[in-house]
Amino acid sequence: MKKPLHVIAAIFTLSALAIGCGSDQATLQGITRESPLTVGSASLPEEFGNGTQPSDFTFSAQEGELLVVFFGYTMCPDICPTSLSDFRSALRRLGDRADKVDLAFVTVDPERDTADKLIPFLSTYATRFHAVRTTDFSLLKSVQDKFLVRSSVTTDENGYVQVTHTGTAFVVDSNGVVVVELPFGIGADGMENDFRVLFNNIENGEQ
Amino acid sequence: MKKLGIAIAAFSALSIGITACGSSSETTDTTVAAAPETATYTVDGAWARVSPMEATMGAVYLNVTSTLDDALVGASVSTDIAAMTQVHETLMNADGTMGMQEIASVPMTANTPLALAPGGYHVMLLDLIAPLEIGATVSVTLTFASGGTTTFDAIVSEEAP
Repeated sequence: MKKPLHVIAAIFTLSALAIGCGSDQATLQGITRESPLTVGSASLPEEFGNGTQPSDFTFSAQEGELLVVFFGYTMCPDICPTSLSDFRSALRRLGDRADKVDLAFVTVDPERDTADKLIPFLSTYATRFHAVRTTDFSLLKSVQDKFLVRSSVTTDENGYVQVTHTGTAFVVDSNGVVVVELPFGIGADGMENDFRVLFNNIENGEQ
Repeated sequence: MKKLGIAIAAFSALSIGITACGSSSETTDTTVAAAPETATYTVDGAWARVSPMEATMGAVYLNVTSTLDDALVGASVSTDIAAMTQVHETLMNADGTMGMQEIASVPMTANTPLALAPGGYHVMLLDLIAPLEIGATVSVTLTFASGGTTTFDAIVSEEAP
């Protein structure tokens, strides 16, 4: 994953030639779209716990920062912990830039994921996070639609709750634009790479 | 766009592979029960993901090899650890969402490791009695179609060893 700088420079040049534009996006390992998703106008309640009233969280990063948005649930044993621990590993390798990565976790299982479940869960993966939750499923769906995310919560014949959800994580910039989508399985190396590429773009004023 | 193309190609290749396996296995159904040998099992890289606070579910990952053509049909841990243990598979649904389902039997080819890894198969621990703490071990028993069992310790850690 880690390549010498001159190799990266060569790849940049080649990609620019091949695609015919000046974008650095060819070095991103996640998925980019010709027409990126725009999610900055969406908002959902953020939970703070301890009886504090939720307030609206808007899906865009602070200036010069990145916001990573996950959809999941705390009782998820495989997909969510895998993605979140990859995220944690990637941040640990980013050095000072890690402080500029914000995390929003939108629960797709809001009936069970109350603030007292969400906040301790997220605090094991990040120091900076937003626990986003609404029990208004039509509102949740309207926001998921902006991310092209789907989810379902059903109870099977044995009384077990079955949850499905899109496993992709979304990296959003300060304009509320999804700059890269991180598919499940991209791993800590892929996330670290993409965060570095995106911060290089921000620092070079290319955002 | 390019990546999407590769992914689609990989999917098609996989589907062809699956179709081929499906048709050939039909011819071997009648001979499985007659195997006189006893399988021996090796397990390596076993780990359980440390459970976040408040989590009531856990997952164990490992590689297991049988000396015979066999199938993984069950898993158990002490009820001091979790109320119930199941073998699960994480699947991609037609709408692109991911979900899990309990799986009755995972086929194994003789001397070929079966990987239980994030995003695929895992031993799921339901209703954990206490959180899994880093450095602790969980004793897990796997059961196979051949009638054999194997018991091993999975170390609790943040990531795969």
